[in-house]
Amino acid sequence: MNRNYIILTLIMLILAFGTLFLKMDDELDQVDPEILLQEIIQPTRYVTTDQVAKMIIKGDPSLMLIDVRNEEDFQNYSLPRSVNIPLDSLLNPENLSYLGIKGTKVVFVSDDDIKADQMWVLTKRLGYKGTYVMKGGLNCWMQTIIEPQQPSGDASYADQETYSFRKGAQMYFTGASAESSDDAKVEVQVQRREKSSVAAGGC
Amino acid sequence: MHIHELNPWRTLIALSAFVVLLIVGFLTMHKPLLTYEKSMSESVAALEDSDAYFYPWQLEDVIGNKAGNIVLFDIRDNFVFGQGHIPGAENMSANNLTREENIERLKALRDNGTTVVLYGEDELHANGPWMLFRQVGFSNVKLLLGGYRYYFEHKDDLAATKNDDSYKKGIARFNYAEMAAPEDGTGVKHVAKQPVQVERRQKSNVAAGGC
Repeated sequence: MNRNYIILTLIMLILAFGTLFLKMDDELDQVDPEILLQEIIQPTRYVTTDQVAKMIIKGDPSLMLIDVRNEEDFQNYSLPRSVNIPLDSLLNPENLSYLGIKGTKVVFVSDDDIKADQMWVLTKRLGYKGTYVMKGGLNCWMQTIIEPQQPSGDASYADQETYSFRKGAQMYFTGASAESSDDAKVEVQVQRREKSSVAAGGC
Repeated sequence: MHIHELNPWRTLIALSAFVVLLIVGFLTMHKPLLTYEKSMSESVAALEDSDAYFYPWQLEDVIGNKAGNIVLFDIRDNFVFGQGHIPGAENMSANNLTREENIERLKALRDNGTTVVLYGEDELHANGPWMLFRQVGFSNVKLLLGGYRYYFEHKDDLAATKNDDSYKKGIARFNYAEMAAPEDGTGVKHVAKQPVQVERRQKSNVAAGGC
């Protein structure tokens, strides 16, 4: 009579035992490799130094800059308001708590963009969203924001605009004295307009 | 007394059907194309592995067909690939990397001991795919430092790039602290007020001059 129950119980026990082997790894949750690869090949994670400078100047509260260089380099120089998480100490739970905060944009910064990009891939594997890479890194930051190169006279209007923004940003970040020759150019344009309106409207 | 206890065979049939179903389920379980073979911490540590990189001067042997068992994969678009590529390279554009036939190809190359060198427009382009492939167990995949652009600039004298470090990454090219130091030694915030003062002067000029 009870034989059936015994067999059933045994099967249930075997199945229960089997579940022990289902989750062998106690690692953090991870994105499926195929989905990760699809995200990797999208270039949408890159932000320019100009965009980062603009966000810092505007005091964008959703911006979180994470510097992935080592501590010594970080102490030597870092972008304003940036946090140091060296690439090799990413898995430290304390460091992971900086990531995945809803509504924040995390931008990784390194000397160039390789280390920052590697950090991006690793955090993406852990499933964090809203992470970006500053293209060109600090070397590019120096060339574009700290010491912007003046475009040639026949450069497009957009290039001139970018340059005048960078010149302003340079002042913000270094307190460089406003080099009159460059700023004068912008001001001259404004003055010209005033003059023409004087002629038309009268005073 | 339950009804099934009258016929023990019926229970046994139901039981074996159940077990067979489970076994079939396990056997036909979807096997993912890629699975991580390196844990997170192993993946972080693996980035320091210099064996995972391929140096531009090493290309000379590959192009001259002196190095056996090395395949170059160009992950740029087919169109750009057609305009110029490293001699002997095959095109496997980034958008097609997830295709099953390409993954199978990589598996076959790994199994017969062929080294795969990935390159994109620059080093950054191939960095992500290279990392992922290493993480899912393609330990034969290497990353070409400098990417295609560096190769193209130096293709006439690749051997000379042995002594060049302009393609190397993770190096500060400037003395940041010195370059970005505030000129009068004050803090950034203090100095940032200056442009505002300049504007104020302009306003007062307009008022004083009158119109």
